[in-house]
Amino acid sequence: MDQARGRYGAAVFYALASVTTLAFVAEIVLVFLFAPTEARMGIVQKIFYFHVPSAYGMYLGAAACFVGSVAYLAGPTDARDALARAGAEAAVVFGAMVLTTGPLWGAKAWGAFWTWDPRLTTALLSFLIYVAYWVLRGFAGDGDGERRFAAALGVLGAANLPIIHFSVQKWGGQHPMVVTGSGGGLQHPAMKVAFWGGMLAFTLLATLVVWVRARLEMASSRLRRAEEDAIDLGLDTRVEA
Amino acid sequence: MTAQETANDRATSFQAVQGGGEHYSGEVLLVSAYAALWAILLLWVAMVWRKQTSLLVRLDDLQREIDKAAAEKVKK
Repeated sequence: MDQARGRYGAAVFYALASVTTLAFVAEIVLVFLFAPTEARMGIVQKIFYFHVPSAYGMYLGAAACFVGSVAYLAGPTDARDALARAGAEAAVVFGAMVLTTGPLWGAKAWGAFWTWDPRLTTALLSFLIYVAYWVLRGFAGDGDGERRFAAALGVLGAANLPIIHFSVQKWGGQHPMVVTGSGGGLQHPAMKVAFWGGMLAFTLLATLVVWVRARLEMASSRLRRAEEDAIDLGLDTRVEA
Repeated sequence: MTAQETANDRATSFQAVQGGGEHYSGEVLLVSAYAALWAILLLWVAMVWRKQTSLLVRLDDLQREIDKAAAEKVKK
């Protein structure tokens, strides 16, 4: 790697990590000290300020997986595969956050941790698709065939994203539509600031997660190629998938 | 169970709550959600750390073989 490029990348990474940390500190202050308690649901409504941004983080990860997968199918490179793999992993991480925080809110708001509401069901389906991608990449090796199969799964997984988004409009259900609905939305200015602060903080976090994971995957691919070169030169190094 | 109660005093039936479902504390649910969020993130960090460790082991193996090959070349 070119040293100047590496230094520039490190500087951008540390700047992004610092801004993300500050954004989360600000978000905690906004959510717990400034945003008012919701009139009907009470304090449990504050889960909303990181539940919705987590869902957005899952979409961002899935979008990165889609872009990497399509690019890999168009022309295979390690970088494109790394982006797809990192995106899928981010979708799993943020999907787990969504599917944990949502039911905890639902326990209070609906009196049940889970219902087979269209949005909940499609979100769970999407999460399981990216878990399947993750498991596939973890256990099926790292050859071109496996990468192509995973890329196809990455493209397929993205097809479910619009279905999650529009499921509430098309099929009804219990899931609230505070942000995208035509109702009153967030009624207090501090609620709006806390919400958009959360969206910013989770966008930065999702970017960091994808970046760190893609960089690690790139390092793994470079090491694998170095091991293959070493074997070609007659060195007795072990090669792991 | 108090000192006066015996094994025969234990509950022998379950009765449904009248007038609504179970009630959960909003504070407990909020803290649980917030803790879960950071726990998931830290779990991911631990997995990345494990992956890095695995890469370092492979890198050490490769370096050892390169050193061995270099030493043999010098002998020749």
